[in-house]
Amino acid sequence: MPVLQNVSPNGLSKKLRSSPQCVVLVALLLGVSLLAVPGDVIAQVDGQVVYNQWCAGCHGEDGAGAGPAANTMLPRPRDFTLALYQVRTTSSGELPTDADMLKVINEGMPGTAMPGWEGVLTEAERLALVDYLKTFSRFFQGDPPTPLDFGRATSGGADAIARGEEVYQMVECWRCHGEQGRGDGESAPTLNDDTGFPIFAADLTENWRFNGGGEVGEIYRVLRTGLDGTPMPTFSDIVDAGVITDEDLWSLAHYVRSLSPEDEPEVREVVTAKLLTDTPLPQTVADVVWEGTERFYVPLSGQIVVQPRWFNPRVDAVWVQAVHDGRELALLVSWGDPSESPDTLWTDFGGQVVTTMGSEDEGAATGSGTADQLVVQFPQELYEGQERPYFLQGDTRRPAYTWTWQSDIAGAFESIARGMGTAARQPDSEQHVRATAQHADGEWKVLFVRPLDTEGAEDLALTAGQAVPMAFQAWDGDNGESGSQGAVSTWYFLVLGQPTPVAVYVAPPVALALTLLFGLLVVRQAQMGSGMWREPDAAARAKRAAKRRQLAGMAVGVIWLGMAFGSYQNSRAGWEAGYADLGFWWAIIGGLLAIAGLGALIGTWIHTRTSK
Amino acid sequence: MGALKSVFRLLGAPFRLINSVMGRFLNTPFRQATAVFLFACGLIEVGIPFIPPLFGMPSAPVPNTVVLEYLVIALVGILLWVSDNEERWSEFKQPIHDVLVRPDRRIARGALFVIVPALVAAQTYFSAQPDISAPPSFRAIHPAPPSAITFQGEQMVLDGLENPLRSTGLLEEHYEEGKRVYYQNCLACHGDGLQGRGHYAQIFNPQPINFQDVGTIAMLTESFVFWRIAKGGPGLPNEGTPWNSAMPAWEDFLTADEIWSVIIFLYEQTGHDPRTWEVEGEEH
Repeated sequence: MPVLQNVSPNGLSKKLRSSPQCVVLVALLLGVSLLAVPGDVIAQVDGQVVYNQWCAGCHGEDGAGAGPAANTMLPRPRDFTLALYQVRTTSSGELPTDADMLKVINEGMPGTAMPGWEGVLTEAERLALVDYLKTFSRFFQGDPPTPLDFGRATSGGADAIARGEEVYQMVECWRCHGEQGRGDGESAPTLNDDTGFPIFAADLTENWRFNGGGEVGEIYRVLRTGLDGTPMPTFSDIVDAGVITDEDLWSLAHYVRSLSPEDEPEVREVVTAKLLTDTPLPQTVADVVWEGTERFYVPLSGQIVVQPRWFNPRVDAVWVQAVHDGRELALLVSWGDPSESPDTLWTDFGGQVVTTMGSEDEGAATGSGTADQLVVQFPQELYEGQERPYFLQGDTRRPAYTWTWQSDIAGAFESIARGMGTAARQPDSEQHVRATAQHADGEWKVLFVRPLDTEGAEDLALTAGQAVPMAFQAWDGDNGESGSQGAVSTWYFLVLGQPTPVAVYVAPPVALALTLLFGLLVVRQAQMGSGMWREPDAAARAKRAAKRRQLAGMAVGVIWLGMAFGSYQNSRAGWEAGYADLGFWWAIIGGLLAIAGLGALIGTWIHTRTSK
Repeated sequence: MGALKSVFRLLGAPFRLINSVMGRFLNTPFRQATAVFLFACGLIEVGIPFIPPLFGMPSAPVPNTVVLEYLVIALVGILLWVSDNEERWSEFKQPIHDVLVRPDRRIARGALFVIVPALVAAQTYFSAQPDISAPPSFRAIHPAPPSAITFQGEQMVLDGLENPLRSTGLLEEHYEEGKRVYYQNCLACHGDGLQGRGHYAQIFNPQPINFQDVGTIAMLTESFVFWRIAKGGPGLPNEGTPWNSAMPAWEDFLTADEIWSVIIFLYEQTGHDPRTWEVEGEEH
C-alpha cells in the first residue's frame, strides 16, 4: 500500500518509534498523507463500469439513447453520440462544460424520467461518468468550451413582470407556449426534436417540471443558451443584435417564473369541500366562488398496471376544488391540455406519439383523435374499516361509482365499474350528476354538480364530515390516449365541511370558568393556610352579596337576550326557507325572550339604584 | 509564564460568564428547575431529529406522544431533585406560595388568572373544531405469504422454493435479462437507482418499495419476492390494503423465467443477498 510506505518512519529514532508519541505522530502523518492522495487514485473508478451498470438501461451501452427502457419514455433518453446537450452554460451549438454535465447527473432532468444521482452514486463515480460520456463523441476531443457570462440577475417585481410579458409577446413565445403559457401555441402540434421525435412545448405554469430548472436564473440561462436538440432557440442573438436588451431577457425570465405558483404544489391526502352558508352553489366554471376556494393538487401518472399500458400521459396533474351547500356538491376539476380533442391540427402529432411509444401490449392504441375524458371515481358504498375498491375503477367484489365527462358529449354520466374499462352507464332514470366544461388557453375546467344524497340505491350518498375515497383519471385524445391508456391517480379523500358544532362556542367558556374557579379556590386555600385570609365583616359581606346579585341579574339578562337573538335567526331562516309556521313561532319565542332579557337588565339596574 | 496565565484566563472566561449568570439568575431551586425544564423542552422538541443523521440514518419527525413522554420523564426527574431534601423543597415552593399569597404579588396573581384560563379556553376551542383528516390506515408491509400460489394457471409451492435460475445458466446472462425486464417494466416507479423513486413514484400512495433499503428484499426470500411480483397489489391479503397498491400482477405480463431473472437483477444491482430457507430454519 503506497499510503503506508509514505509514512514509513525511517528517520525516526527507535525510542520515539515505540513510544505513545510515535503512535500519535504516525496517525497525524497518515491523516496528512490521506488528504494528499493524488487525484488519479480517485479516478480509478471506471466510468464505463458505472455507466453500464446504472445508465445503459435507458441510454444504451453504445450511448445512442436506445436502451431497453427507451420506448417507455418521451422525451427519449439523450443520445450521447450526437453531443447535443440541453442544459449548458455555453452558447447554442457548443458543447457543455464538465460542470454542466455534472449538474444534470446530480440533479436529473425535472419533468422527464432522468433522476438525480447525487444520493445514489459517489462523487468519484459521477465525475468518472462525465469523462466517460465525453468518449461517445469525438467533438469533445477539441478545446473545452467557455461558459457565457450571464451578468447579474435583475430584481423582479411587478414592473419586471409587466415588461417580461411585453417581451413574451414581442419575441413570440406564445407561438409554441401559448397565450397563457400552457404549451398550446399554434406551432405546438408541429414540434419535433432533432432526432425526429414529437416534443411538447413546455407548460410554463409548472416550473417544477422545467428541463434545466424552474427558478429565474435557470430560466434566463435557458433563454440565453437555448435547449440544443429541441425547438427551443437561444435568444442571445437578438440581444446581440440589439432587438431587446439583456435586462429584457431577465424580465422575460421573471415573467415566465411568475406563471407558476410560488412553491411546488404539495400533495395533500384530503380534499375539503367548504360549506357555503350565504352564497349560492356555483353553477359555472367561471363563478367567483372558485377564486376564493382552496385548490388541491392531484398528480397523475401513466396507467401502467393493466394491459394495455400507457407510458406517456399528457395530463400530469389535475387541480381540484370543491364546495357544497348542504344539498348539493360542486366539484371543479382543472388541468392543462393544449387541445380540445379531437382537434385535426393535433391528429398527426398524436399519431407520431403513438408510433414513438410503440407499445407491444395487447389492445394498445394505433392512432389518435379520440375525445378528452375525465373520470372522478368513488367507491359505490363505504365499506367497514379501511376497505375500498381497487384504485383502478374497482374490482368484482367492490365496484367503483364513477362520473365520466367527455369532450364530445354534453354533460357527464354516472356509471358502476368493476375493473378498468368495465364502466357500465347507469340507466337514465338514475342519472343525477350535471357537468359543464370550458376549454380556454390550453386548460380544461369541468364542473360536476350532484345532490349529496341522490336516493339512488347504486349511488354513493355523501354526508358532511365523512371522509369519502376519491380518485381521478384523465385522457388526452389528441395524445393517442383512450381506454386503459391514460393518466391515473391513487385514492384521495373528499371531506365535506360541516357547520361549526355548538361545542366550539360552548366548551371554551365553560373551560374558562372552571379554570378560573379552580384558581380562586387554590388561592383562597393558600391564603387561609398562611393566615393571610381575613374573614370579611358583616358590612363587607352584605356589600358583596349585593354585588353578586347585581352580576347575576345582569348575566341572566344578557343570556336571555342572546337566546332571543338565536330565536330571531331561527325565525329568519324559517321564513326564508318557506316554513312560515316555524318562522312565526320562533318570532314569538324570540319576542318573549327579548322582553324577559330587557326586563331582567332594567330590573337589576333599578334594584341596585334603590338599594343604594 | 504570564502568557500561559492569560491563556488560561481567556479559556476560563466563558465558564466565569456562565457562573455569574447562574449566580445572578439561577439562584433559587425554582428558577433552576424552570431552566432545566425549558432546556429539556428545547432539546427534546428540536434536538431529537438530529440524532439519526449522526448514525447515517434518515431523520424523521418525532411523534408528539414521544415528545410528551420524554417531557413527563424530565418533569418527574426535576420534581424528584427539588423534593429530595426538605429545605430545597420548601425553598422551591416559596416563590409559588408568594405569588398565591403575598399582597405585593397581586399583579402577578392577576396576570396568572387571565393567562391560564385564556390558554385553557384557547386549547378547548381548537380541540373542539371538527377534525378534517383522512381515516387512519394501517398496512402490513410484509404480509404472510401463502404456502402455494397458482401461477399462470399452474400450482406453484412457495415453501422452500429456490430461484431455479441460480442453478442453471450463467448468472451474468440472467442479470442482463433481468436488467432488460426491469428497465422496460419496473423503472417508471422503482427508479434507476432502485430506491423507489422513479418518475411516477410520487403519484402513488403507498410509495413504491425501495430495494436499496435493508428492510425490503434483503430480509426476504426469493420466493416471497416472486410471489409479490407475480401477484402484485391485487394479490395482497386484506391487511396489505390491496386496493391502494399500484403494483401490477406481473403474471399477466411476464413469464416465470423473466420474473426470476429480474429478481437476480434486484439482488445483484443492490448488492443485497436474499434470505435463504436454511437460515430461516436455524432461527426457529
